[in-house]
Amino acid sequence: MTKITITDLKQISERNKSTSEKFKASLLVCAGTGCVANKAFIIRDALEKELKEKNLESDYRVIATGCNGFCAQGPLMLVSPEGTLYLNLKLDDVSTIVDEHLINGKPVQDLMYISPVDETRTPKMKDIQFFKQQQLIILRNRGAIDPEQIDDYIGRGGYQALAHALSEMKPNEILNEVKTSGIRGRGGGGFPTGIKWESCISSAKKTDVAPYLVCNADEGDPGAFMDRSIIEADPHSVIEGMAIGAYAIGAKEGFVYIRKEYPLALERLRKAIQQARDYGLLGQKIFDTDFSFDINIHQGAGAFVSGESSALMTAMEGKVGEPHSKYIHTVESGYKGLPTVLNNVETWANIPVIIEKGGKWFSKIGSGDVSESPWKGSSGTKVFSLVGDIANTGLVEVPMGITLEEIVNKIGGGVPEGRQCKAVQTGGPSGGCIPADLLNLPVDFDTLTQAGSMMGSGGLIVMDDSRCMVDVAKYFIDFLVEESCGKCTPCREGLVIIKTILARVTNGLGEPSDLEMLSDISETIKNASLCDLGGSAPNPALSTLKYFKDEYKAHIIDKKCPAGVCKALIQYTISKENCNGCGVCPKHCPEDAISGEKKELHTIDQSKCVKCGICREVCKFDAVEVE
Amino acid sequence: MGESEMVKITIDGQETEVEDGTTIMKAADKLDIEIPSLCYHPRIGALGNCRLCVSEITKENKSKVVSSCNYPIRKKDEGLSVSTKSDTIIKTRKNVLEMMLSRWPNVPVIKYLAEEYGVQKPRYSHPLADESENACVLCGRCVNACKNIMQQNIIDFSYQGYRRQVVMPFDEMNPDCLGCGTCTYVCPTGAISLTDDPNNPADSELLKEVGLSHSLEIHTLDPKQNEMSTVGTTHLVPIMNEFDLLPVQNFRFGNHPGADNIGSKAYRKRFDSGFDGCWAGCPVACSHVVANFQPRTGPFSGQKVYVDGPEYETIAGCGSNLGIFNPDTITEINFYCDTYGIDTISFGTAMAFAMECYEMGQIDNKATGGLELRFGNEDAALEILHQMAKGEGFGKIVGQGIRNMKKLFVEKYDADPNILNDIGMEAKGLEYSEYVTKESLAQQGGYGLALKGPQHDEAWLIFLDMVHNLMPTFEQKAEALHWFPMFRTWFGLCGLCKLPWNDIVPEDNKTTPEPAKVMKHVEWYSKYFTAVTGRKTAPEDIITLSERVYNFQRLFNLRMGFGKREHDNVPYRSVGPVTVEEYESRQDRYDKELKEKVGIDPSGMSTKEKRDALRKYREAEYEKLKDAVYKRRGWNVQGMPTLEKIKELGIDFQEVLELLKKQ
Repeated sequence: MTKITITDLKQISERNKSTSEKFKASLLVCAGTGCVANKAFIIRDALEKELKEKNLESDYRVIATGCNGFCAQGPLMLVSPEGTLYLNLKLDDVSTIVDEHLINGKPVQDLMYISPVDETRTPKMKDIQFFKQQQLIILRNRGAIDPEQIDDYIGRGGYQALAHALSEMKPNEILNEVKTSGIRGRGGGGFPTGIKWESCISSAKKTDVAPYLVCNADEGDPGAFMDRSIIEADPHSVIEGMAIGAYAIGAKEGFVYIRKEYPLALERLRKAIQQARDYGLLGQKIFDTDFSFDINIHQGAGAFVSGESSALMTAMEGKVGEPHSKYIHTVESGYKGLPTVLNNVETWANIPVIIEKGGKWFSKIGSGDVSESPWKGSSGTKVFSLVGDIANTGLVEVPMGITLEEIVNKIGGGVPEGRQCKAVQTGGPSGGCIPADLLNLPVDFDTLTQAGSMMGSGGLIVMDDSRCMVDVAKYFIDFLVEESCGKCTPCREGLVIIKTILARVTNGLGEPSDLEMLSDISETIKNASLCDLGGSAPNPALSTLKYFKDEYKAHIIDKKCPAGVCKALIQYTISKENCNGCGVCPKHCPEDAISGEKKELHTIDQSKCVKCGICREVCKFDAVEVE
Repeated sequence: MGESEMVKITIDGQETEVEDGTTIMKAADKLDIEIPSLCYHPRIGALGNCRLCVSEITKENKSKVVSSCNYPIRKKDEGLSVSTKSDTIIKTRKNVLEMMLSRWPNVPVIKYLAEEYGVQKPRYSHPLADESENACVLCGRCVNACKNIMQQNIIDFSYQGYRRQVVMPFDEMNPDCLGCGTCTYVCPTGAISLTDDPNNPADSELLKEVGLSHSLEIHTLDPKQNEMSTVGTTHLVPIMNEFDLLPVQNFRFGNHPGADNIGSKAYRKRFDSGFDGCWAGCPVACSHVVANFQPRTGPFSGQKVYVDGPEYETIAGCGSNLGIFNPDTITEINFYCDTYGIDTISFGTAMAFAMECYEMGQIDNKATGGLELRFGNEDAALEILHQMAKGEGFGKIVGQGIRNMKKLFVEKYDADPNILNDIGMEAKGLEYSEYVTKESLAQQGGYGLALKGPQHDEAWLIFLDMVHNLMPTFEQKAEALHWFPMFRTWFGLCGLCKLPWNDIVPEDNKTTPEPAKVMKHVEWYSKYFTAVTGRKTAPEDIITLSERVYNFQRLFNLRMGFGKREHDNVPYRSVGPVTVEEYESRQDRYDKELKEKVGIDPSGMSTKEKRDALRKYREAEYEKLKDAVYKRRGWNVQGMPTLEKIKELGIDFQEVLELLKKQ
């Protein structure tokens, strides 16, 4: 493959457009990890076979795209450009769609989205509430291109920003655009990207060395999959962003640190880097300028703490990925002790758009006014992975400043089955739980931090009223205990101690003094830990203590778990009124703890009961009660 | 290498000014403010692991808790207020100590610190409580000492979080472990001990016992006595200068006001803090690097280079002895000598001779190719060095050494052979090393009677003789010139370094009967030998061990034409003042000697007459010393081993007997 020029770029783009115009429609099958797990590739293969058999190959083409975002309803297929979206596809649906929609021109009603409001079918993707409220900058190409075809990316304007930057702009002009945009790091810390780049440029200048550039794709939060989806859906947007960044700061070499547990993202990234190299968009003298830059992949081995920037760079050096004090920032002494800019996947994916549309345009999106200082607001959009007790699980991109309420209830479709939303956990395991009565909080870096949580990389876990908040705190602390690297005392010992106390509380052995002790130890961990992971690790305990103190008190003083979750504090009984002696629950009880003849009242032997709750699930007459 | 910027801050209300980059810990230490720590150790470096050293920093009403051991105070911190005792800090330390105490309730250092902070019984019980008194507290000192001091990676942490523990890879004995014991000294709880010695000595228990005591003594005393681990042997420059022993301008003088610029004070700033010892297990690690040095001349001009930094004799030889008192020029000469493969002592002494010849007018600038070869001419010294490496110009002549220069200057430039012999500091064809021996007869012998030429590898007796006057008689001097060369030869035979023997000495050494020998260490060395070889060896056996080799070396010299009395002659510059100027610079001392020892009343004599009288006396003394030493060594007046001695040592081989018969 030969290097392409800026003119070639336009030609590829046009060729790509005219190719797609040749077809009546493109069938965009979502091939994000969620849909792939639900047989998306098998469905795609069947679709291709069906088209071939029915001689429709020249009229329709099948494209496997990256994550569409509407994961709860996968596998998905979008008929483009008309916009019909089919959901929850099964292998059998393939021939139906081909016969009825493609051949007979009658879209298949049964496979369309049902609005929870009026239970009518919504044929077009753009009309679905989940998509309506979103604003796509980072995910601009999601579900629209084949992520394994660089020409598809170019066809949607890809690499134009890089071409523009290299041919028309000086490095400091790029820096200025990024500064003007006010963009803050999407990895969780929210440090202004422009200031970071500027500090790196000045320390590299002082020492007269080329800085390094790193993309952090070591996404490790449970329930978070933003970065993975971006790379799976649109790897070139990250590569282009990195190349522009490299030109701005003077880097010659960049790295993507990506988890080995993301095989699909890794494979697509590898392919994309190779394609970019083949086109000369990475490598020596890009677009025949003096700018040379290449990207290497470093695979992470799965330690959660390696997502912390100093630990990540240590791991890149081939050492154990443990953090060290960052009193001297990585922009001054990072990878191999040289100035290094590290930004998260999502931040990099924003850069081409900022260059294309201008920093000013970007700064107007989002909350606050960043025209004076990036610290005075949160500009742009943010991608969230919306999970938990919510109707529309998936990946969403919204402007900063949107309220949690809008995300949860409008985009997310609210908490299902008539339950109430109790809390939203943001910021990953070391984030915090925000109670339902604060759902009107705008989502931006500073508000979430003030509320005792944090933006983190963008995980949003919705919890309904069946969740016990003490148990939730214990769950996250347990995770962090396992993932603490153990280097510094407060994080290593303090978390184990908090874990012990929370276990005691959930077992009904808590004492009133535990509450004060929990917050006391948490404060010390927060203040004294070596890295930001440790600094934020007590958040699950602190934020639940702050907003759900009554629930702790119920466990400690009344020895009750109001949500009915903590096994030591609950008892399953069978109500005389409702039980008709159907005999289902004794059959399902794994411990043979339920006795009673048919048609007679069943009873639970408390000494045998392990409180698994199966009896309650299987009872059709609401006869099993928990207290 | 400009001066660092200073930053003004306050610590606990006290104003102070520190160099940019100084840590809070070091800044507080200067103000005698104590900050507790478990993992911090000055030689290992700051780890930031234990979090006991936290302090609270405040600037513009914003406060933050940081670890004092590794928080660098930088220019941006101007006006920073540091509190090492704020309520938050005390509370944080208490809580961290409580965590530690709950896990390791019986470890003395933790108990002690907890008590100091009033932490009694922890409020909670730790699920992993370890009752052991010497439990590992995961501070990381051992791991980082192995990495940073020893440059090894023998031990490290395995597992993460609360499961973390220090292990050798796969929990197996790491065959690469040197058995240096450093991890054991730095461990604050005694959790690590040496079990096996990979070198397979005859008696590993004894070796461990002696090795641990010796290393521990070095670790404890070097920072107090010499700081060799920080400044190398540069600490000797001010000492030698004070005692009139630092060679200045081709050994004419023994001190100079400029010496202050080229000693430990200057190099402490220049040396890189990293390890540069000969051997990774060395606790002295006297060698140091000047990192990112930019030479101003020669092929590396303007580039950044690493210089295996100057030691005492390089500084004296390539600095003061050339009249050069610029530490960067000395570093540059050091760098190019290393790069070109030229010995710094030979270069310095040969260069000093050439300079003095030039200053005296024995050679002129036609001989030097136009170079003004005066003392202190740094550019000329560097130019000669580059020429020497290229084999060009006058540098090629200097590079052939003093013995050849003397011959050539007489033949080619009509120089005065007598003067050249007096000031040409060589014996047996080797250039002198860098101590002034004029006032110590014993050391004149130490140099002159050394088998491989005038260097102190065999004996360094100046303080003993001149400063402490511990060997007034010829017999005593001869005894020293027997014992010390033999003992020092033994180090060479075993491949050992001598610095741990007599540069770092026991604290009570001065009060022992023979402080110069450092008998406690001599005992240790005999134990080392016993432990390694399994041959029971006493201190006197060490001397016998060497004696055979030493006599063999003398016989070898003899065979090569260098082993007789005449070859033990030395230039008069090493014995006494050659010139009137030299005499006058120490007139009181010399006049006194004439009066008290020679028995001549100097009053009324001209300096020239006095100088000649002193010379006659001192040269005769040196000959008497030769007689005494030869006798003690079992040699004849010609300086050759007697048949009797050879038989006694069991080296009466046919070839040896024939060699002696021929003489």
